[in-house]
Amino acid sequence: MLKTILCLFLTLFMSVTSCAQTNFPMEKFGELPILHEGRLKPLDSFARTEILRFAKRENPNDTDCLTWLATALFDPIQSVTEKIFFIDDAVTRHRLGLEERRKPFYSYAELSDGLDKTSAEVMDIIRNTEIKPDKAQQELLAVHENALQYKQILRSFSSILPLNIVLTDEWRNKAGLAKNAPVTFASLQKINPDIEENIKRIIKRKGDDPAKYTLREQELVALGLQIKTISEASGNNNLFRVIPAINEDFASPWESINNGKGSPTAATHLKIWSDLAIAWQNKDAQSWVAAVNKLSHQAHTNYDSGRLWIEVVYNQFSPFKISLLIFSLSFVLSCIYFVNRSPFIYRCAMITLYSAVAIQSLGLVFRIYVMERPPVGTLYESILFVALIAPLVSLFVERHLKNGIGILSGAVSGTMLGLLALSMAGEGDNMKVLGAVLNTRFWLTTHVLCITIGYGWCLLTSVLAHLVLLEKAFGRVQSDSQDKLIKTITTHGLFSLLFTIIGTILGGIWADQSWGRFWGWDPKENGALLIVLWLIWFIHGKIAGQISQLIWLGGFAFLSVIVAVAWIGVNLLGVGLHSYGFIDGVFWGLGSFTIFELILIGGLMMIISNNRKKHYAT
Amino acid sequence: MKELATSLKRYALKLTHPNILFWVMPFMILLLVVGTVTQKEIGLQQAEEIYFSSFFYMLGFIPLPGGLTLMSILFINLLAKFLLGSEWSWAKSGTIITHFGVLILIIGGGLSYFSSYEGYMAIEEGRSEYLVADYHQRTLVIREDKQVIYQTNFENLSEGMVISEPAFSMTIIKACYHCGITKRSEEEQEGWTSPGRFMQLNTMPRTPQDEKNMTGIEFSIKGAGDGLDGKYLTFDKFPKPPQIKKNNKTYQIAIERATRELPFSVTLQKFNQEFHAGTDMAKAYQSLLTVTDGASSWPVLIEMNEPFRYRGYTFYQSSFDLSGDKPYTILAVVENKGRLFPYISTLVIALGLMLHLIIRVSGRGKENA
Repeated sequence: MLKTILCLFLTLFMSVTSCAQTNFPMEKFGELPILHEGRLKPLDSFARTEILRFAKRENPNDTDCLTWLATALFDPIQSVTEKIFFIDDAVTRHRLGLEERRKPFYSYAELSDGLDKTSAEVMDIIRNTEIKPDKAQQELLAVHENALQYKQILRSFSSILPLNIVLTDEWRNKAGLAKNAPVTFASLQKINPDIEENIKRIIKRKGDDPAKYTLREQELVALGLQIKTISEASGNNNLFRVIPAINEDFASPWESINNGKGSPTAATHLKIWSDLAIAWQNKDAQSWVAAVNKLSHQAHTNYDSGRLWIEVVYNQFSPFKISLLIFSLSFVLSCIYFVNRSPFIYRCAMITLYSAVAIQSLGLVFRIYVMERPPVGTLYESILFVALIAPLVSLFVERHLKNGIGILSGAVSGTMLGLLALSMAGEGDNMKVLGAVLNTRFWLTTHVLCITIGYGWCLLTSVLAHLVLLEKAFGRVQSDSQDKLIKTITTHGLFSLLFTIIGTILGGIWADQSWGRFWGWDPKENGALLIVLWLIWFIHGKIAGQISQLIWLGGFAFLSVIVAVAWIGVNLLGVGLHSYGFIDGVFWGLGSFTIFELILIGGLMMIISNNRKKHYAT
Repeated sequence: MKELATSLKRYALKLTHPNILFWVMPFMILLLVVGTVTQKEIGLQQAEEIYFSSFFYMLGFIPLPGGLTLMSILFINLLAKFLLGSEWSWAKSGTIITHFGVLILIIGGGLSYFSSYEGYMAIEEGRSEYLVADYHQRTLVIREDKQVIYQTNFENLSEGMVISEPAFSMTIIKACYHCGITKRSEEEQEGWTSPGRFMQLNTMPRTPQDEKNMTGIEFSIKGAGDGLDGKYLTFDKFPKPPQIKKNNKTYQIAIERATRELPFSVTLQKFNQEFHAGTDMAKAYQSLLTVTDGASSWPVLIEMNEPFRYRGYTFYQSSFDLSGDKPYTILAVVENKGRLFPYISTLVIALGLMLHLIIRVSGRGKENA
């Protein structure tokens, strides 16, 4: 049995490491720093974010994300034929004139005709800011945005990659190029002022009709035009910021050359990146390693490369996917335990739950270290944190009850929240920098941690209430065990109230510090207050005897919906000062969950009520 | 007398009944849900007025208790329970302390509701300001050589209303809280002065975001003299409000946000905005100010989450405007006598709930919830 479980574990671990190996050593390349979306991150994260954006998965067609990135950067001609654009919407495929495929992946080359055809329509959508684009228009916009982003990546190094331009010996000498050295835009930049001056003289002397020029003059004008075209096409390309610039900033290769952000250090970096490009194109692994090592050494000297390395480890380890799998395994094992009551299965379920909690914690520690702030700045992060709190508390419940209920509730909450986190992860970087209001470690640590602990505790209490309702409805557990569980729910209801009420008031104090008012009836504030009022209602209702135990249990079970509405649902309104942001797909998910819970809880309460009536009748 | 005291106590004890809380809670939850959901349509300010700051509201054709009614009932119930219904024992000490904390919170909320004032100051770099503009309240202001000679809130204005000043008399033709502007037809241009000759104000439904409502009036002037008598219009943030020059005096008629004077002034020395590297996302913004109070002046730095407090006023970095030649900082200014209550109540409630849980978990208050 243990062997089977170990085998299962190994299979699970292997399934989450996504990047396939290539014959080029890519690890150190993945650890090189890039300034992207406001923070310094490893190229590994950049590559994963970008490919996820285009392909909706990290390894389309089994392509390693770093290999894809290197190809896009250093061999754009090869890259434009790679099928990495995932276009799921049939209407968009039709509008772009794309052929139907079993797997709807398309290359940039295949898209380009459709992009040209629809560009006027896209411009109209962008200009017409008063009308919200419909779903089809949004899809089309997304394809255009992705294509634009991809084009920026393809052209990132067009300033230092060899160009198919022939230079006369005279211009080669002026550009400082050896006889067989490749012509690059950077080398042309050195002679461009001279070329421009010469062209001006020619035009002044002979006008602007090329037919009047000599062959040499025509070649010179053509060269000037080529330089101008390349410069205009890529001049504002600022996506791939890997070249150190002044003031601890980073610049893209194009910015470095065009915008005067260059420096001797930048020149050295550009030269090394150029060597890297040539090594990739020549399939020269040795030169590749040498160039990557040089860049890595520079990064190690100037930046916190340990943090970059940790982020790469985090990416490859995917702790939250692993913990989700182990939570699920723990759920299966605890269900088996309730069938056969085997102590061995109980221990396995317990160990798996401990492991899942440990891995979830480790993932959060990684994130805290990388982001240098509490891990609760966004909705996604708060879900990850709650997915730790609820199972963690369930371990204490299990320690107290010792009957498997704690493990089951922890596994259920861990799995549900893990799935929710997975659906909320989105396609971009989920380690985002925060806006000015949220950019405060103190309030993130106090208010946000407190309220999210409250959410977690509420959800666990709700799961426990569900389990009691199930037990009561189907009568599998003895009544003294139920009484113990009901007392546990009462205690955890109070803990939930403690954290939600303190979290809510701390939120008010933060609002007082930031905006000058303690309470503004903002949807997010009201959501938190809703949980507090719900808890107060049912806690006091039970104390004063106004509600039966069954209704009390139903109310606590329904806490899951109250928390979901307060935590995630208020964002659907799209109003208020501090919503995490509107999320389109959430409405149906939340609606379905509410209906499911109403049917489940209502159904269980009806069964229990009928059972009682039958019991009293007999 | 004793009988009266007994019967008073009997009635007071009825106020401690848990049924009151039990029935207030669902109404509060309903109020919270309705008041939150409707914000999408009517905006925060109107939702606050209709639901949270009212004694009752209508849900369809059903009248229901508003925020003020429910909070008052809750307060009375809790106060009665605290004073007359508390079981003063160690086992219940956590509950009593928690209830006391909630009472402090409600008292603070009430104090803030009745005494607080919120406004804002928009200060250009290098300039001083001592006036705080109200976020919502619009007023009609008539100035004689920059001195205010008449001022009334917008709500007091009505069509046909006559305002008589020594130099002229003014009749309101139209007043709209949110006005749209359209072209005035040629047939209707008779008697209008520019720019009213070419544009007219139309009453529009209020927008949910109050700051987007453009409040304006159309009015006629009589008794100012030839060339000045006629029909005019003006509206909130109109750069050139109508001016009437008579007897070497200039009268300006404007719709403005209501203002309040501070007993000191602030000067914006420098506004800084810091971005996350390589993005246009603000990481932090700060205003370096000089506060001048009488003969003394001193520098002050206001940042996001780092307000400045002085003489009962608190200044917050609220927003900014970099569209002009010089930057503007926008500071929220709040005067709130109940500000400290939430801080105290947080501590008291936390202490009470923790004590209650400790007693419960340690088994000394098994009968407690």
